[in-house]
Amino acid sequence: MKLWKATLAGVGAMALAMSGTAMAQALTVGVSWNNFQEERWKTDEAAIVGALDAAGAEYVSTDAQSSAEKQLSDIENLIAQGVDALIVLAQDSEAIQPAVQRALDEGIPVIGYDRLIEMPGVFYITFDNREVGRMQARAVFEAVPEGNYVFIKGNSADPNADFVHAGQLDVLQEAIDAGNIMNVGESYTDNWNPSVAQTNMEQFLTANDNNVDAVVSSNDGMAGGVVAALTAQGLAGSVPVSGQDGDFAALNRVALGTQTVSVWKDARALGKAAGEAAIELAGGKALNQVMGAVMFSNGPKGVDMNSILLAPVPVTADNLNLVVDAGWISKEELCQGVGAGGPAACN
Amino acid sequence: MRSVLTFGLATTLVSITAPWAGAAEPQIPVFVEETASTGIAHVYDGPFEHFVGGGVAVFDCDGDRRPDIYAAGGSNPAGLYRNVSDHGGALRFVAVDAPAAALTGVTGAYPIDIDADGHRDLVVLRVGENVVFRGLGACRFERANEAWSIDGGDAWTTGFTATWEGDNPLPTLVFANYIDHHHPEAPAGGCADNVMLRPRAEGIGYDAPSALSPGWCALSALFSDWNRSGEPDLRISNDRQYYRDGEEQLWRAQPGETPSLYGREDGWQQLRIFGMGIASRDITGDGYPEVFMTSMADNKLRTLDSVDDTPRPTYRDIAFARGVTAQRPHTGDDVRVSTAWHADFGDVNNDGLPDLFIAKGNVDAMKEAAERDPNNLLLGRTDGTFVERAVEAGVASGKRGRGGSLVDLNADGRLDLVVVNRRAPLQVWRNTGAGSDADGGWLALALEQEGANGDGIGAWLEVRVGDTIHHREVTCGGGHASGTASWIHVGLGEAEGASVRITWPGGETGAWVDLPAGAFATLNRDGGVDTWSPG
Repeated sequence: MKLWKATLAGVGAMALAMSGTAMAQALTVGVSWNNFQEERWKTDEAAIVGALDAAGAEYVSTDAQSSAEKQLSDIENLIAQGVDALIVLAQDSEAIQPAVQRALDEGIPVIGYDRLIEMPGVFYITFDNREVGRMQARAVFEAVPEGNYVFIKGNSADPNADFVHAGQLDVLQEAIDAGNIMNVGESYTDNWNPSVAQTNMEQFLTANDNNVDAVVSSNDGMAGGVVAALTAQGLAGSVPVSGQDGDFAALNRVALGTQTVSVWKDARALGKAAGEAAIELAGGKALNQVMGAVMFSNGPKGVDMNSILLAPVPVTADNLNLVVDAGWISKEELCQGVGAGGPAACN
Repeated sequence: MRSVLTFGLATTLVSITAPWAGAAEPQIPVFVEETASTGIAHVYDGPFEHFVGGGVAVFDCDGDRRPDIYAAGGSNPAGLYRNVSDHGGALRFVAVDAPAAALTGVTGAYPIDIDADGHRDLVVLRVGENVVFRGLGACRFERANEAWSIDGGDAWTTGFTATWEGDNPLPTLVFANYIDHHHPEAPAGGCADNVMLRPRAEGIGYDAPSALSPGWCALSALFSDWNRSGEPDLRISNDRQYYRDGEEQLWRAQPGETPSLYGREDGWQQLRIFGMGIASRDITGDGYPEVFMTSMADNKLRTLDSVDDTPRPTYRDIAFARGVTAQRPHTGDDVRVSTAWHADFGDVNNDGLPDLFIAKGNVDAMKEAAERDPNNLLLGRTDGTFVERAVEAGVASGKRGRGGSLVDLNADGRLDLVVVNRRAPLQVWRNTGAGSDADGGWLALALEQEGANGDGIGAWLEVRVGDTIHHREVTCGGGHASGTASWIHVGLGEAEGASVRITWPGGETGAWVDLPAGAFATLNRDGGVDTWSPG
């Protein structure tokens, strides 16, 4: 199989002449990366290629090098190569739309990967951000079912900040309405910046004479700022704190007991789902016939999108072994500074 | 209809062939950094409000025809520096004591002769009250907010532009404002309105400011006659980091009428960028200005989609095709996106083709963006594309660049460079040329008219070299918090001279004037031409 592909690549002209023969049955999926030199996408790519290999499909890709304008040109090139489906990690989810429309007009299915491209006819694959918020709130709520809560939200201009917070309220609103949970501080955080989160947390602690019982932080970076503020008051470890992303520093805090949960999105699951969906779509399946497809309408414009919304994993002290077993983090990094009596994953 | 056949480029990145491969290589000018010996020791610094700003006004304030420098300091005092450089010599400045130089909270400044007394005045942008200083000559200034009834407001101001509407004796002033710093916690809609000040019908002075609403966290503004209608409109570039529903804006500004936004029905398309600075120049040679807007990641170079009949404000992106996206560092191994601020077109190698300088630098410690983010110097090629040569030219500073100016500081016909940096010293480079055999010719031009608008803001300059005519608009505004009012520099390449003519504000076109390369010439609306010899 490998040899056959290499031969074909070298004789494009001949391959053209052989159109309509058995080779025409090999599907090709094009992936447009926004910035492939960013380390994390290597994991996603391996998962996508794994899914395509399993189906005998070809993989071609482009790297926009963080240029939205180059990405438009990249997608034109992938269309010109005759790909059967496109997976697009958009540098700019608005600027990309003319090229995506071109692909759709030519009958090429397009998957918006990880970042929403809010257009009718595009398939969207991501983790369920609202579920992220629910998982954060659940973990904190289990630890402290009543008391004074602080909410450290993401960047105000980022719709994800609101998806996550809406999920948090899904779990907590009832207790808030019942008066069991008091919202004693809530702020957006400029650019999800940890030091801004720390400053905000310090102000909330001062305003409440340190009477804060739980902190629902929307990501791990900001949770780091929150824990720094709590540490300064001698409260780290006694006040539950949430986060997301599976940042190494955050997982270490979970092991140390200063952070309660980090909601982890496994890139391998995302890549595999995208590769498999691309095969189905390239084979002619309708968007709503893709395995696991649900309707998503919560984008900023409210467009109905056929989607796969993967469930993330809440990582707590009880299941830390998951991230080690997955090869996401080494045991040494996870357990740095953890003494005797730490979580099982560090024993 | 598409082919079902595919090419098996298994697990390889598709290579993109540069469309400009093979174009003639431009001469690289050598910029020598002379910061330490200039006599300028100046740092722009301060908390959150001074993550942006850091502008510089470059203009002659003492009448010796060499541009002087006023630089914003943020939480540090601003600085005023008189240019005492010898003709063609090393760049040297002397700090001047002045009320304007003692101000803190300054984000930027623009020079403009508001009252037509022949001395350029200084518009100082601040976090808090903006202050307008009347120029008195000899680099002396006096506060004029009260005398001219200019309400300086209390906003976080980051941009400025001005135009003379109709026959008004005074210019219309626009202050571009960023986040509403009185309500910074506002989750959305936290952007401040921009404001416009128009002159009173009678007497010297201004009416109360009127809001240009909505404001979308502006960082740059420019009056420009984008469609050559004779009436400049107002372009405002906005930072999408802080709005949800906003976009880039173009306000229709007709004399005596309330400005109104161009909309979809006019052909204006939504564009959302981290707009930081505006530069405008006719790059394609069709007589209409292209607009370059700095941002994070991609910078935008946009051209009118069609210039047949009456142009509509519908633009096409040509930054990638021309090689000026400059979306991430061009040197070093940091693959995170760039953050671009001030941009200036200018012919730094005097080959007759416009070049482009971009000041770059991280906002402060933003992790998503490159930490070491060197400036760009993109040299124009004969085929209309640009090639990055900041490293070779010596201007690829990795400090946190903000405002700046490409300007001839020592009257040798070569564009020198000033860059204000956040949390690092202001830098000055002397352009020493590309070597004597390679140096092209140049002209230095000034406009002059009696009465209001002595500098001819809004005029269009045509420079004819052989069969080619370059069009150039004279504006006040744009950049990142930075304005330059000095000789208009024109590179001539191998030509021994050029013909120039001016279309003055109001539409009157003067006669062609032949000038030899190397001339400093002041063109008067009455047809007179004064030349000047430096030294």
